[in-house]
Amino acid sequence: MDRQLNFLVAVNALVLLAAVAIAGTDFAGIYNLQSMAVQVPELGLLAIGVTLTMISGNGGIDLSGIAVANLAGIVAALTVPLWISADDSPMTYAFVFAAACLAVGLLCGLVNGFLVSRASLTPIIATLGTSLAYTGLSVVLTNGSGVRLGYIEPLDNFGHMPILGIPMCFAVFIVLAVIVGCVLRFSPFGMRLYMLGSNAKAARFAGFNQIRLLMVTYTLSSLFASVAGFIIAARISSVKWDYGTSYVLIAILITVMAGVRPSGGYGKITCVVLSAVALQMLSSMFNFLNISNFFRDFAWGLLLLIFLWVSGIDLRTLFALRPRAGS
Amino acid sequence: MAILNKLALGALMLGTAFGTSSTFAADQTITTVVKLAGETWFTRMEQGVKEYGEKTEGVAATQVGPGKADAAQQERLIEDLIAKKVDAIAVVPFDPPMLEGVLKRAMDRGIKVMTHEANNLKNTMVDMEAFDNAAFGAHFNDQLAKCMGEKGTWTSFVGSLGSLTHVQWADASAANAEAKYPGMKLVSPKNESFNDANTAYNKTKELLKKYPDLKGIEGGSAVDPIGIGRAIEEAGLTGKICVYGIGMPKDTSRWLQSGAVTGISLWDPKDAGFVMNKIAKMLIDGQEFKDGMDLGVPGYTNMQLKQGPGKGIILTGQAWIDVNKDNLDKYDF
Repeated sequence: MDRQLNFLVAVNALVLLAAVAIAGTDFAGIYNLQSMAVQVPELGLLAIGVTLTMISGNGGIDLSGIAVANLAGIVAALTVPLWISADDSPMTYAFVFAAACLAVGLLCGLVNGFLVSRASLTPIIATLGTSLAYTGLSVVLTNGSGVRLGYIEPLDNFGHMPILGIPMCFAVFIVLAVIVGCVLRFSPFGMRLYMLGSNAKAARFAGFNQIRLLMVTYTLSSLFASVAGFIIAARISSVKWDYGTSYVLIAILITVMAGVRPSGGYGKITCVVLSAVALQMLSSMFNFLNISNFFRDFAWGLLLLIFLWVSGIDLRTLFALRPRAGS
Repeated sequence: MAILNKLALGALMLGTAFGTSSTFAADQTITTVVKLAGETWFTRMEQGVKEYGEKTEGVAATQVGPGKADAAQQERLIEDLIAKKVDAIAVVPFDPPMLEGVLKRAMDRGIKVMTHEANNLKNTMVDMEAFDNAAFGAHFNDQLAKCMGEKGTWTSFVGSLGSLTHVQWADASAANAEAKYPGMKLVSPKNESFNDANTAYNKTKELLKKYPDLKGIEGGSAVDPIGIGRAIEEAGLTGKICVYGIGMPKDTSRWLQSGAVTGISLWDPKDAGFVMNKIAKMLIDGQEFKDGMDLGVPGYTNMQLKQGPGKGIILTGQAWIDVNKDNLDKYDF
């Protein structure tokens, strides 16, 4: 039963074919493929974060992704230049920048995890709250204006330069996705997470350390968001608190279209990646054709509806938080 | 198989959704990228873009913009235009620094880049400003002074202290008053309306209480005159207090007609759209830009050329228009 996967592969192929047919062969040219690949990771990473939290069940979701990403980029952009000059040692600068982003992601994730696991707050409320708090912090730190990084070669290369034809940030995204996919599939952590999401009560009786599981899950989600923050900073060479405010809902859209069950217990990373790629191709195709961005929103909605129809998801599971056994 | 049938049907539906579009070939493609699609300001700008495309042989001029007010969406849009390899892009940046990287890549790929309202942007070839912000602020103040008889207390509004242009206007106004009109007294300058007519309304009510002898108010954000006008009307002070500000003719018409707002100034986005595309076309054709050049649109006939913060230049016009109740019906936006 892998309808999601089949559907997503078919959608990807169809969109690519349609785009080449309508927009011309330039669409499948190496430059555009790379350009699209560069745009996927930030949304893809946020979607992976949402996926992990959704799998954990009990209304699990992470709305704070882009807020964490922006805060990570901003903290790094403000602090790293104090220690290291980007002109003298650009490579060190880039690595310390990445480390600073990850550190912020770790902290934010621990806060999210604490609120959801120990304080037992509803995830949607907890992460909405932290999302506002992180955004607020970003505004305070920057007085609401953007921070320019200037041209820093290793960062810029990371954002765009292809190695063997594949842009570095996209390669990192794929590697991370593969690791998460394997962890979910083969490790005890993954097994426990799926079980927790399918049936929290049974998991509790089975003696899982629920608190630690949730803690790790939400921390991972924010860590991925902070990687997205690093990629954003590298790609556009500046950071700002309100960058990507539209990403929250798009990341959820990608996740749901990937067949991740909103009530928990099921979700495949392969599908999330394919879903993110499909949305990117669709969006780029519309831009190639000069089609209004409002129509794009419409098309995404349509795609989601078709998907729900094709994959035959039981719509009731979208609304029922009551855990049910996997079908 | 049932699934395959459904898939085929789904594909068909998607296919019809795409079927409506057509590709067209023109010699040169100029794409105007605005901050937000569907906003009154940019809908008006699109008229100018289209007009340029129709009037100019061999140019396909189109306007696009993100559906959401988000710098990320605008950046992605431009990323795709680079891949598509249009000949030139004319951008009204949502947030100029956020586009430095992508505009640099556009130029690296041989795409001509011109911008509007972004005189702090480094990676652009030409930035076009409708007017000099200091001159615009002084112009506000001169109008206000004339209305007030060059004496009395006055105050000013800004959208927020972070809005660079608003602060520039307010400061230039204050400097102008100090230099030219010794009888005018500025009180509590740069009130923040946070681009909200309701906040402007409440602040004005407070100001009227605090300064009963207030004779003049300058609005900074495009919605300020609406709030200020409402407060003045309710206080029964219509015609007794001079109000000038930036605003949109249609949105402000009610208060202009009643006299609660004396006048608004703005630049016409339609003309700006037209001129942006003209400059983009000149870049494609490799024409030279000169100080004092005439771009053939009123207000853009004597462009001041100045070096920008990067390699590009800044061209500044004198394209403000003053709207009051007498000429209001000329502007349908």
